[in-house]
Amino acid sequence: MSRDVLVIGGGIAGIQASLDLAEMGFKTFMVERLPSIGGKMSQLDKTFPTNDCAL
Amino acid sequence: MDVGRHPKITLYAYSEVEKVEGQLGSFKVTIRKRARFVEESKCTGCGACADKCPTVISDDYNMGFADRKAIYRYFSQGIPSTYTIDTKVCRQFQEGKKCGICAKICQAKAINYEQTDQIIEIEVGAIITAVGYDLFDAFRIPEYGYGRIPNVITAMELERFLSASGPTHGHLYRPSDLKLKSEFAELEKKQQKLTKALERHEKKHGISSDEFFSKHQSGEMTGDEFADWAKQVKEFKDFAAEFEVKKHQVDSIGHASRLAFLQCVGSRDIRFNPHCSSFCCMHAIKEAIIAKEHDPHAHLYIFGMDIRAVGKGFEEYRNRGAKNVGINYIRTRVAEITQSKDKSPVIWYEDTLDRQVKSIEVDLVILATACEASQGSDKLANLLGIERDPSGFYRTTDDEPLDTSRPGIFTCGCAQGPKDIPESVAQASSAAARAAQVLLRQC
Repeated sequence: MSRDVLVIGGGIAGIQASLDLAEMGFKTFMVERLPSIGGKMSQLDKTFPTNDCAL
Repeated sequence: MDVGRHPKITLYAYSEVEKVEGQLGSFKVTIRKRARFVEESKCTGCGACADKCPTVISDDYNMGFADRKAIYRYFSQGIPSTYTIDTKVCRQFQEGKKCGICAKICQAKAINYEQTDQIIEIEVGAIITAVGYDLFDAFRIPEYGYGRIPNVITAMELERFLSASGPTHGHLYRPSDLKLKSEFAELEKKQQKLTKALERHEKKHGISSDEFFSKHQSGEMTGDEFADWAKQVKEFKDFAAEFEVKKHQVDSIGHASRLAFLQCVGSRDIRFNPHCSSFCCMHAIKEAIIAKEHDPHAHLYIFGMDIRAVGKGFEEYRNRGAKNVGINYIRTRVAEITQSKDKSPVIWYEDTLDRQVKSIEVDLVILATACEASQGSDKLANLLGIERDPSGFYRTTDDEPLDTSRPGIFTCGCAQGPKDIPESVAQASSAAARAAQVLLRQC
């Protein structure tokens, strides 16, 4: 039995899920297809509704 | 971002899941970590390799409006910051060509052309699939002219234009004008070359090219030694006319200030996706507001069947867009986009409020392309043994909105269905909590 978690996808959802699990103390593996994590959100200039920088 | 340095997170970027066996509490997962041909432990991310790399190709991250090299980083703040060689275009990996420049230039000796894919096996108790979405390919709606009319772009392309780190450093120009500018830059180079050639002759003979040419035409200085010079002067004169026309065109280029946003491009359309992509209405309003910040004189139009501002504070944001920024919301479904003589897109539509067919000329059309299940998500569904819904997103039920059809595998974000960033984040936290709950109960 393992208590580790695999998160597939390194976009904003995958990042949030991984960080939450890691903060709870679960060992987490993240797999991302592209060379860097960040996903579509990293391509956005600023985000709604605060118009703050996405990164 | 903390993922790269959190002690409890192991990151496998540039990797894919190949096999999943077992069940809740003990999934055996095989991961293929693809070769970057750059040692992750040695690369410092300095970028000297990319500076010297001779292969230039179009950059996906900037939606093809900028260039990158064959050795590249997906984007500049990317994590991990390790560079990657794109073997499809790299000279070293293409048959019959020897290059090796990056290996020579790299001080950290991180380049390794012999690197191979690594197979990693791990055991986990639960899996969360958050593979996101893909954007609808606007080529599929020919009447909107994407790809044929240069000044019809997508909302994601506009994001890159508005970004200070994007291809135009945040200045909004029509793509046709950008093309004109790059053509003019080529002409300027040619002009310099021609001028230099003339100067060499002028220096040698001590008279100006104009003087020489009039003498040449009146029968003086006609020997073989002057043939080249005469030819070059003629070429320069012909070229100057073309140059002036282009220069005039380039000088009159202004920022794109009439912007039209078209909603539901590929969504709520039974030909493609019956579903609503949910975030595009607010995305269009946000982009319009940012565009107005860049250019206070911008004229903004949003064409849509309705504006779906469903969420806390969303309706107020929509109204603020109309009141403070001057966005015109036009209730319609656009029929067709044509192009005027000066390459401005012309939008043809029926205004459903006053039941009239109208047209309007703008500088830039921005298509709100639909959110679709990501490419490869079907393959992953087979690998994981989970079901998909008719739109291709991972199936969940109303009772268990984070659970896929296989126990121990959860989903969140746009992999589950279209949603905006705050909703994705909220659902991701829920999925994490759900996975934790199930694991703690199991073991």
